[in-house]
Amino acid sequence: MMLLSVGCSHRTAPVDVREKIAFHHDQLTRALEEIPARFQCEAVILSTCNRVEIYLARPEADPVLPQDAVAAYLAELHGAPRTSLLPFLYEHRQGEAVHHLFRVIASLDSLLVGEGQIAGQVKRAYERANECGSIGPVLHTLFQHAHQVAKRVRSETGIARGHVSVSSAAVDYVRQVFDRFDDKSVLVIGAGKIGELALRHLRALGPERIWVSNRSSEKASSIALGCGGVAIPWDQLDDVLSRADIVLSATGAAEPIMTLERYQKILSRRTSGPVVILDIAVPRDFDPRIHDGDRTCLFNIDDLKRIREQTLHDRLAHVEPAEAIVAEEVQRFLKDWSRRRHGLVIARLYQESEARRQAIVERLFSRLNGRLSDADRAQIEGAFRLLQNQFLHGPISALAEESHESGSHTLLDALRKLFRLHD
Amino acid sequence: MPIERVTFLCFAASYALALGLELLLLLRPHWPLRLLAVLAATAGLLAQTLFMIGQHVSFASATGALLFPAWVLAVFYLTGSFHHRRLAWGIFVLPVVLGLTLLARAVGPSAAESPGVVEAAAGDARAVWRILHIVFFVLSAVGICVGFIASVMYLVQAQRLKTKAVPGKGLRLLSLERLETMNRRALAWAFPLLTVGLLLGIAQMVHEGVPFQGWSDPRILTTGLLWVVFALVLYLRYGFHLRGRRVALLTILAFGLLLVTLVTSHNAPGGGP
Repeated sequence: MMLLSVGCSHRTAPVDVREKIAFHHDQLTRALEEIPARFQCEAVILSTCNRVEIYLARPEADPVLPQDAVAAYLAELHGAPRTSLLPFLYEHRQGEAVHHLFRVIASLDSLLVGEGQIAGQVKRAYERANECGSIGPVLHTLFQHAHQVAKRVRSETGIARGHVSVSSAAVDYVRQVFDRFDDKSVLVIGAGKIGELALRHLRALGPERIWVSNRSSEKASSIALGCGGVAIPWDQLDDVLSRADIVLSATGAAEPIMTLERYQKILSRRTSGPVVILDIAVPRDFDPRIHDGDRTCLFNIDDLKRIREQTLHDRLAHVEPAEAIVAEEVQRFLKDWSRRRHGLVIARLYQESEARRQAIVERLFSRLNGRLSDADRAQIEGAFRLLQNQFLHGPISALAEESHESGSHTLLDALRKLFRLHD
Repeated sequence: MPIERVTFLCFAASYALALGLELLLLLRPHWPLRLLAVLAATAGLLAQTLFMIGQHVSFASATGALLFPAWVLAVFYLTGSFHHRRLAWGIFVLPVVLGLTLLARAVGPSAAESPGVVEAAAGDARAVWRILHIVFFVLSAVGICVGFIASVMYLVQAQRLKTKAVPGKGLRLLSLERLETMNRRALAWAFPLLTVGLLLGIAQMVHEGVPFQGWSDPRILTTGLLWVVFALVLYLRYGFHLRGRRVALLTILAFGLLLVTLVTSHNAPGGGP
């Protein structure tokens, strides 16, 4: 087997380089057609915002796949000078390539360790290669195994526990206060880019109604239209605030829009349960003194980011066990693959030898036709079989030992050449 | 083993073991520990059932009045452990179970220090009122215990939110809304039961011609105070939309009064709450 991965990631290349060699839909299709033809190999291309990697494989150990040629192809496809890419590219071969893929899919090489997107991205890369017909026995087996590794790491370690996005962290806090959401009202005040993302997460909870209030009524109507909510005039903000259960505030106001005094007046009119305020504006929209953890739970952007930091910190404790699983699975994959390849060669060697023995014995029997008794025939046949078995015993034992011990294919390749065995 | 040989120690030790395992779960959240905790509590529940049957524990006794709510709460713990597997449920329920059990042991070593319900029922028709009075009172005690547990959990959860503790770290609890609902429902069930229980008690006293010993009578004082606090909680909750921490604190106060009522009533002459 020959396996090579070439690429760059957030660890080795700045975003402008990654952008330059990222594969768009059409480029991906083209590359998945051209690479197998050009390099006589199987190919899978993983292209995400944090990494671009090409996995190449051949069932045979040689000829060696050249990294330079792959880099040259990348440069050619993206219209960039080859020398400008080379410093940022890494390559992994054989077991190292397997190890790298398993680390990538287990999210150990991700920017946010333990994030769940990468496993889906690897899966899509594999499926795409499958659709384009650029996948063969090696990469098929490798990527199938990689998905099992990702599942194992996620289920056996806590590396994927907790949330790392601000929006998910906000929902975590909301869930500590509320149990059901189909009778809740969400009030959105202002809404920037991050506000829209947080609103999407809140909408996923299925609230009964969404109110949107903005200084600009046009903007409020536009956001309300986008989220199935109702636009509320800015001067009615206090009224809806006294009735809302969840408030998402993300205005661009330079000063807090809600002072303690103003909020206390609103609270005195409130008859329903607690309110959760997610103040993700910078500078903050709500006076932090309104937070009491009982009637009003106020969380600002720093609180939400703290969850992310804590989650990432907690996940680090699970990196070592996850790495151990990856290392174990790499060994398992290489051994399985080796056994599989060795098993095929042993079977082929035995079949070839058996066919030749039978042909020779048949020829001998036909020459000696009528001069041999059944007992003579059986003795001759037995002698030839014994000779065949004794002759094959050494090579087969050595092959079996190689498959169990080293995982290399030196002897395997030698035997294939010596005995002219072909797949 | 004959059921007569089942002692307080059997089920108190089982509940204590279950509580210890629940505490250990906070440090090491492994499912075998949870399983062991549930098994220990189940063993405790079984032992307590056998004890109550074997010793003919009467509801009318202080022991019975404390052991019956403990028994119901042990069932409450087991069902809660099934429904809220990832939450720190036992940490809050088991101390109440264990506390009631130990209190029952402290206040009434004998199971039959006052006439048993069954025996009393067999005696005369007046006992029917007495049975109903006690049953209603003990059932309301169960409601107050549940309200107490929900209130303590509420205060802890509110404190976690106040300090902005990272969700999923440390104690995992139900949401504030769920805890408030649990408390509200427990009180809404317990108050009518308590009121009916008290009225039946008064009717029984009048019927039997028991003289009114004044407000200094511990039974009258504590039970009356319990009812007033209870009524106050509900009035503030529904009349003034009082919610959250203050309702939780009042519920805890009601629970404290309940314990005092159960202990003092049975130690006072005449017995019964």
